[in-house]
Amino acid sequence: MTNEKKLTGAGLLFNVLEQHGVEHVFGYPGGAIMPIYDALYDSKVEHFLCRHEQGAAFSAVGYARASGKVGVCFATSGPGATNLITGLADALADSIPIVAITGQVATAAMGSDAFQEIDIFGLSLACTKHSFQVTDINDLEKVLHQAFAIALEGRQGPVLVDIPKDIQITEVNRCLDKLVNLENKVKLPPANVGSAIALLNQAKQPILYVGGGVGMANAIDELRDFATTTGLPSVSTLKGLGAIDPEDENYLGMLGMHGTKAANIAVQECDLLIAVGARFDDRVTGKLNEFAPHAKVIHFDIDTSEINKRRIADASILGDLKVNLPALAIPLAIKPWQAVCHEMNNNFAWDYNHPGELIFAPAVLKEISDKMPKNSCVTTDVGQHQMWAAQHMVFDDPSNFLTSAGMGTMGFGIPAAVGAQVSRPTDCIIAVSGDGSFMMNVQELSTIKRFQLPVKIVLIDNAKLGMVRQWQDLFFNGRLSETDLADNPDFIMLANAFDIKAKMITKKSQVSAAIEEMLEHDGPYLLQVKIDAQENVWPLVPPNTANDKMMEST
Amino acid sequence: MNNYQLMITADDKQVVLERILQVTRYRGFLINGINAKVNTGTNIGTIELLVRSERPIELLVDQINKLIDIKEVKIDNHAS
Ligand SMILES: Cc1ncc(C[n+]2csc(CCOP(=O)(O)OP(=O)(O)O)c2C)c(N)n1
Ligand SMILES: [Mg+2]
Repeated sequence: MTNEKKLTGAGLLFNVLEQHGVEHVFGYPGGAIMPIYDALYDSKVEHFLCRHEQGAAFSAVGYARASGKVGVCFATSGPGATNLITGLADALADSIPIVAITGQVATAAMGSDAFQEIDIFGLSLACTKHSFQVTDINDLEKVLHQAFAIALEGRQGPVLVDIPKDIQITEVNRCLDKLVNLENKVKLPPANVGSAIALLNQAKQPILYVGGGVGMANAIDELRDFATTTGLPSVSTLKGLGAIDPEDENYLGMLGMHGTKAANIAVQECDLLIAVGARFDDRVTGKLNEFAPHAKVIHFDIDTSEINKRRIADASILGDLKVNLPALAIPLAIKPWQAVCHEMNNNFAWDYNHPGELIFAPAVLKEISDKMPKNSCVTTDVGQHQMWAAQHMVFDDPSNFLTSAGMGTMGFGIPAAVGAQVSRPTDCIIAVSGDGSFMMNVQELSTIKRFQLPVKIVLIDNAKLGMVRQWQDLFFNGRLSETDLADNPDFIMLANAFDIKAKMITKKSQVSAAIEEMLEHDGPYLLQVKIDAQENVWPLVPPNTANDKMMEST
Repeated sequence: MNNYQLMITADDKQVVLERILQVTRYRGFLINGINAKVNTGTNIGTIELLVRSERPIELLVDQINKLIDIKEVKIDNHAS
């Protein structure tokens, strides 16, 4: 008999993490998670100390989105755990697989309002795909395997595992040698493609509406084959960007509130909408009952609850896109409609002519996009700069454009870039941020410094909460309430304080050289781009308006 | 407002009722009545849920079905 040393719960956690191929975790220690941090000390798993648990959660999200692996984050009980919540909500809205491990006060103290006790299990119900609280050490191993399985299975999402401190230090035998294979709970019947094929064959003006589900299903190749075989004109959601080949001549760009004129008009005129991994979000549809008013709908999804949720589908194709897209890939006779779409693409192309000396953000972002190395990954924060990045940068894979789409969370960009850089150390990672959003997780510059991550930050600086200012100007009679940021800190000094090289530009003539300097720089770099505070994002579909009634730049 | 009756079977987890109630409220259904019990032999819980809403009941059924611990959701009647 070997006198094999027994594992503690904390040791078992790292065993299971290694079994799932986890190499990197993001986190922040504290009292109730100290046994786990003690076990980390002996583990092969590399830990990235973030400077706020929200940063750790977003780094896990960025890691997952950039790599396709599960992102993992740790936080202590109470305030550590509550600080994760925004990241969990963001991951839920965008279907991102992360596993969050929280420490909890010891089981005997639970329910007594103990120091740093909060019912994170209760709080998790509305912001995770699933959650566990482990109160019996013998459940721990199985629960951890289930957490990874659930995060990845079907429609992906965040899972939280709350582990009381006594469970972390209790000794336990490993019981399962192999990973448990969860029986797939949702057994979908094989998709009935017959009626969908009929709809496809009848359509004269069909449009392919591509969402984030395509990237999550890892079905980029199948989608592109489908687009090529059918010849369908296509549009993309914010999260779907990169799924359709940007060179596809039938691609019309992003649809929705800040979508291209061509995409929105084509969707409004289409007679068949083929939604693939998309969920008819209100930012996409505008006024719902006037969205694509003449269209029948074929809806592909893995999540039954998305079918008929906001728009009734005439045919629904449930299940794995990798299997179902090829089943519908048939050539279509839609030449005249393609020609109409090509003409719209030509007529409504972006115009980068912009008078004056002041820098035009869309042109800067386009130039960065043209000059960045292949396989660069761009993250954004939330606001005007985010919409300009979505409109004017070109992505050839959804894992190269990480933006908080469903939740629209300011503070996403910098920590997401940290996670992306950790997962893809040799790729160029560019965070496009705004002067408002940047300050929401500015402490993560410290994480960039600590791990010498060569993240490039492009700070589009209008000294405003620009997107809100735009709405105040357009829809609130120009009453500019609390959107001026004229008292921003000196961003160059701020970056320098974290050993990040930084430069500010204010004139068009400085743009090209500055972009090249940033891209050639070896380490982290912040490029502060001062722009005119009055610039707006165009086109804009006003709230509760049909998508073809967009406002345009005057 | 339409009234509906759902029969839900679920794994016996302490949290499962909370999850069902949270989803029901969030998705826009008001609860008229609830009756829940556990078969200690099989560890299966049955929950009878009476709800009303302007929204089609399928929206709620699909969302409850998505909860990991739920085994089955049946619509018992379409009374309104
Ligand atoms: C956490 C959070 N708080 C508030 C908002 C609302 N909001 C959306 S855009 C925006 C302004 C963002 O300002 P900035 O980052 O400077 O971007 P800009 O629009 O100026 O490019 C605000 C306040 C949000 N999306 N997220
Ligand atoms: Mg701004």
